[in-house]
Amino acid sequence: MEKVLDARGLKCPMPLARAKKELDSLAAGDVLKVLATDKGSILDMQGWAKANKHVSLIKQSTESDERGREVYVHYLSRLGDRT
Amino acid sequence: MEERTEVTPRELFEQLVTREEAPPILDVRNEEEFAAWRIEGRRPLHHLNVPYFRFIDEPDGSAESVAQVGRAWIAVCAKGDSSAFVAEILRERGMRAVNLVGGMEGWGNLHVPVRIRGANGRFELWQINRYGKGCLSYAIVAAGEAIVVDASRHVDVYDALLRERDARLVHAVDTHVHADHLSGGADLARRTGAAYHVAAGEGFELRKDVDPLPDGTHFRLGGSGGVTIEIQPIATPGHTPGSTSYLVDGRWLLSGDTIFVSGIGRPDLGGHVEAWSRALFRTLHRGVLSTLADDVIVLPAHFASPDELDRDGVVRRRLGDIRAASPELALATEAAFVEAMGRTVKPPPDAYRHIIAANLAPGSVPEEKAAEWELAKNQCAASMSSAARS
Repeated sequence: MEKVLDARGLKCPMPLARAKKELDSLAAGDVLKVLATDKGSILDMQGWAKANKHVSLIKQSTESDERGREVYVHYLSRLGDRT
Repeated sequence: MEERTEVTPRELFEQLVTREEAPPILDVRNEEEFAAWRIEGRRPLHHLNVPYFRFIDEPDGSAESVAQVGRAWIAVCAKGDSSAFVAEILRERGMRAVNLVGGMEGWGNLHVPVRIRGANGRFELWQINRYGKGCLSYAIVAAGEAIVVDASRHVDVYDALLRERDARLVHAVDTHVHADHLSGGADLARRTGAAYHVAAGEGFELRKDVDPLPDGTHFRLGGSGGVTIEIQPIATPGHTPGSTSYLVDGRWLLSGDTIFVSGIGRPDLGGHVEAWSRALFRTLHRGVLSTLADDVIVLPAHFASPDELDRDGVVRRRLGDIRAASPELALATEAAFVEAMGRTVKPPPDAYRHIIAANLAPGSVPEEKAAEWELAKNQCAASMSSAARS
């Protein structure tokens, strides 16, 4: 299952804080797709996945949305009972 | 008395630079960002890097790992929101922490104008210190007229200074096409109807609206008020092909990125390190610059370390002292110099190519992009010198 978290327009730390909350509500192995417009989210998600052994960062990409904004897309999943 | 929960960039500057204090810094950015650029003071600072996501995962454990030191932590992140969140977590647990408003972005946007004494009363010379990024710009004011050199995109800073000094801008000048920050020169000039000058040099397609500056032209300032200060452009190619320094009143050299107080500008930013190194060697040893007296005071466009600020908070040094101390200037042959510069080549930050393109083009960059590209300290010095070991 894949769930989408739209964190566009949200400032740091909100995209990551919400991603954590969502990940905790999903089943282990489910994929959370996070959309963010804060460029800092790229390195932050990488750092988070490195520091938290229950968070897995599957891939990241950059797209642009219908309003022409650059959107940073992060695919995450949870390993274990909770993050 | 209730302790404050935040500190502005200007207040932090006063603490770190004016009062030479050393508050502990809790930097909550990720490791890469912290490694690339951090808050610096006159004295060495105690930095602790605990990314904010550690506080989201484990607020109690992370707060405990920070522990209280002698005085309040200054919490810092990229834009000031995550650090506000972390500072609050610490305060909720009885610790002392204040947030740096605006984060590193705000820190990098702080401009502090410092008047340089010794300009003998006929004119005023101001060094505008963009401390967090290590960028320096200048205003020369005489009898109600002003020239601004290397203005940043934060043109309000210069507008305010000139208003306070009751001066009208007549020229905005860039010493070269900057790679590390967006120029505000054209914008500043356009607002006030002043002329804008920059020489890009060979290999660059400059599409900005630039007023020509014929060879041999000297600027004169304050003529209508009976005061005349001469500002002489001196071609100093090398850091870029168009790099130009400006000699003010025969004594003050606005050297751009050609000479810094502890080194020289890197010649590798255009991808032509050999050709630009040769040009730089000739500038340093054969051109007009090499004929200037040792007593000339160099006022550069950057500094790399707070050590370069003197007691008045000014970045300046006698040309003779730089000549005596710089290992780059000690290289006596062009071949040795070119070889040494070849060894200093390092990839520039990604943002530099965007910034160069924007500085060549007309129009301005949206604030969000501008802020993103400028979120770093300058890396404009050749790395053989101490100026680049930052």
